[in-house]
Amino acid sequence: MTRRLVHVGIAFLVIYGLLFFRLEMVQIFGARNLREHPQNTLEITLDFDAPRGAIRTADGETIAQTVAVKGARNRLRQYPYGSLYSHVVGFISAEHGGAGIERSHNDFLAGNDLSVRIQDNRDLFVDQARTGQLELSIRHDVQLVTRAAMAGHLGAAVVLEPASGSVWGMWSTPNFDPNHLSSHDLRAAATDFSALDSDGAQPLTNRVEYHSVEIGSLFTILTAAAAIESNLHDISVPATTSFPASQSSPAITNRDSNACGGTIESLMVNVCRSGWAAIGQEIGREPMQDISDRFGLVGGDPLRTGNALRGDRNQTELSPSAAHAAVGTAMELTPLQVAHLFATIANNGSRIQPRLVEQVRAHDGSVIHDFEPNVLNQSISKETAAKLLGLLSENVKTGSAQGLALSAVPVAGMSASRFSGSNHLWMVALAPVTRPEVVVAVLLEGDGSDDQDTAEATVAAITRRITEAVLRLPSSNLGGS
Amino acid sequence: MNNQRVVELTLLLLAAFITLATVAVAAVAADVRVEWSAIPYLAALLLLWGVSHLSLRKWAPTANGLLFPIAALLQGLGVAFVLRIDPDLLLRHLVWSLFATVGFIAVLAGLRDLSQLRKLQTPLGLIGLVCISIPVILKISRGEVDSYPSFQFGSVAIEPSHMGILCLVIFFGAWLANYRSRNTAEYLGEADRLDGDPSRFIPLIGAWLIISVVVIFQNNMSSAFVLAAIFLSMWWVAVGRPIDLAFFAAAVVGSVLLTIDSVPEFQSRFDAWVDPWSNSQFSEAISRSSFALAQGGLTGTGPGEGSADWVPGATDQFAFVPIAEELGFMGGTAVLSSYLLLAGVGLRLATAARKEFESLLAVGIAIFFASQAWAAIAVPLRFLPPSDLSLPFVASNGSALFTCTIALALLLRVSETVPIIPDRTQILPRIAFKSRGTA
Repeated sequence: MTRRLVHVGIAFLVIYGLLFFRLEMVQIFGARNLREHPQNTLEITLDFDAPRGAIRTADGETIAQTVAVKGARNRLRQYPYGSLYSHVVGFISAEHGGAGIERSHNDFLAGNDLSVRIQDNRDLFVDQARTGQLELSIRHDVQLVTRAAMAGHLGAAVVLEPASGSVWGMWSTPNFDPNHLSSHDLRAAATDFSALDSDGAQPLTNRVEYHSVEIGSLFTILTAAAAIESNLHDISVPATTSFPASQSSPAITNRDSNACGGTIESLMVNVCRSGWAAIGQEIGREPMQDISDRFGLVGGDPLRTGNALRGDRNQTELSPSAAHAAVGTAMELTPLQVAHLFATIANNGSRIQPRLVEQVRAHDGSVIHDFEPNVLNQSISKETAAKLLGLLSENVKTGSAQGLALSAVPVAGMSASRFSGSNHLWMVALAPVTRPEVVVAVLLEGDGSDDQDTAEATVAAITRRITEAVLRLPSSNLGGS
Repeated sequence: MNNQRVVELTLLLLAAFITLATVAVAAVAADVRVEWSAIPYLAALLLLWGVSHLSLRKWAPTANGLLFPIAALLQGLGVAFVLRIDPDLLLRHLVWSLFATVGFIAVLAGLRDLSQLRKLQTPLGLIGLVCISIPVILKISRGEVDSYPSFQFGSVAIEPSHMGILCLVIFFGAWLANYRSRNTAEYLGEADRLDGDPSRFIPLIGAWLIISVVVIFQNNMSSAFVLAAIFLSMWWVAVGRPIDLAFFAAAVVGSVLLTIDSVPEFQSRFDAWVDPWSNSQFSEAISRSSFALAQGGLTGTGPGEGSADWVPGATDQFAFVPIAEELGFMGGTAVLSSYLLLAGVGLRLATAARKEFESLLAVGIAIFFASQAWAAIAVPLRFLPPSDLSLPFVASNGSALFTCTIALALLLRVSETVPIIPDRTQILPRIAFKSRGTA
């Protein structure tokens, strides 16, 4: 009996040993992964009613702040502009954690970050609530212009400054009012959250960063770049109505079965899909894969501004067939990625990480962290970039993007649309051509009832309106920089 | 004059100090309002510990001095970490602590000889069966699944399930002791002759039926684990037929597998276990427990700095989480070790007990504590699917505290019949190895 008692003792030692081991895995070795788990809202929930720094735009508007209130909790997070910045700042909620900058930069806002907590020597000895204030690259005036231009349309628009990678405007519809989610009425907040969460139109998703859509003909700018780099810039293809792509894949046809061909310039202004496919076949898939890699479109991490929001942004792949790859089949990008691509061309081929947060400031306004423009790589040579810009400029003068033309300033741009199944239209504008100061990318998603020509005119009008308004804004509004 | 009581008093003072210190540290932690109402409560709790200690001096002067302080420390941790989360529970918990102390003293004073308990074998077995089968009756009459059905008397909820398990432990102990006295071949060195008695199948089948009822009608894997662990341990110690146990284990696993397929709620508990990141009814508590534990890390966030009620059920079935979060891996390890020590002392007593019933009772109670603690901690650590089992002595569940305190009193009563351990350092089952040759 004693011997068997020992067995029982050993058995329990073993199963307790498993608990020790597992506890160690969770608390020590696996703790980092768990703390960074996307569903882990513990930290931000703990910070829900703690002191919290404000978030300001580049031109000094406060777009998120914590105010003192009377009640069970004595601080309330407010978003003075409601849904205008919902996809930029996100929200903080007692039960659902947070999203957007509120979540991704929580450590600075709540003062968990050491550099924020210890602002001067005295802070080493006195436990004071120190918080960080965030200054964004977003400009209130640009954001207002973007919202006004997009009114009544489903989609996303992003305004980028090519030289610094600063995001000036970021707008996505449908959206939500973060004030409802940060409410102290937890029951109402939970109801609102589950309504937003289950809405089929996905108002919680920031489409600028987290919604990948096929870019189609927009990719031909990279095909052109690959052709120029392969010393094929003088190539001319015969006029055809379609290009018979290899094996099982369908032929690549032109819109309305137009016959087109000629030089790269002529292909660009005519959106000649069959011609681009022929060029793709000619240069092969490798150079296109290579240039996509240099632009960071495939293979690497998708682009981030550090604005953690939800959505279905997926890794994209170049089509295996060179002809299909050349016309952008299956190449899915987010509006931010598209704007970033054209901003790189506008910035002489130097690729700069888009940024949303520019500075973290202390309570007295001094700068704790400065997020400088981050140059990722030189994607293409200056000469190639200038040639591509010339193509885009010609495209506005005589080609498919004529709707972008402004009277005072020369504009370059490009469009792409898909009108089968779920419709969407892309439009990108770069202005002024001589030295682009702004890149605007617009994505419209329709329901299929619109006529294609009308829809293209609409997206061109929206993009032109944003571009024109941004160029007219007094740049002295830029407070910090 | 009495070493055991001196050890007990010293350790009890240490447990009181740890409890008060943690409450104080938590109270001064940032942004936590000092709960002044907790002070009279703490005073009352320490008073109850003192009364229990004095009653041990009077009615069980030579009982083991380690058991009560371990239980007191665990209860103190419960007050410091778990009840702080919801101060509304304090008063109810105090009432239950009072009941538990009264029951503790009643067992010590009233039950001077454990053979009295052995005579109550049949009624206790029946009570145990009734308590365990209450869920079946509720299920049939109300049509709802309730892991721990309770009866509300004013603000006090009584859950009969824990008490049922303890009654069954006593019943099994008595039955197995009778079985062994009828088949004493082991003492003659002819262990094989134990096989001849077919009545051993009665408790095997009975235990399988009880566990199946718990699984099917309570959907409670943790309770099933506790019952199976207790039964397997006692049976192995008393009878020791591996073949029978293998069949038993296979039958239990069979019941569980069948239930997974046929009971949707049990299925959803299993799904939450396999994938706690999905958003289902049970998964949130599991995933949040993992996050809270990870937040604690090696040394913890510090008392009062944890996530409090962010983990659903943190005051009861997930009571381990706030402790391991705020004290970290080190605190969690200390809690685990306390239960291991409790079980170790119990098993050590079982090897030294003079009578077989007392020995089997000690095994049963030791495993009652160890398996309950294991099963309750295994849920947040994802070893078992989510179910409602209170952490012994720590959880705010007063009914469970009452049962555990009664079980502790029984174990102390067993320890009093054991000759005083000559060397107090040998408290772990190490002694069992030494006595192997002589038993």
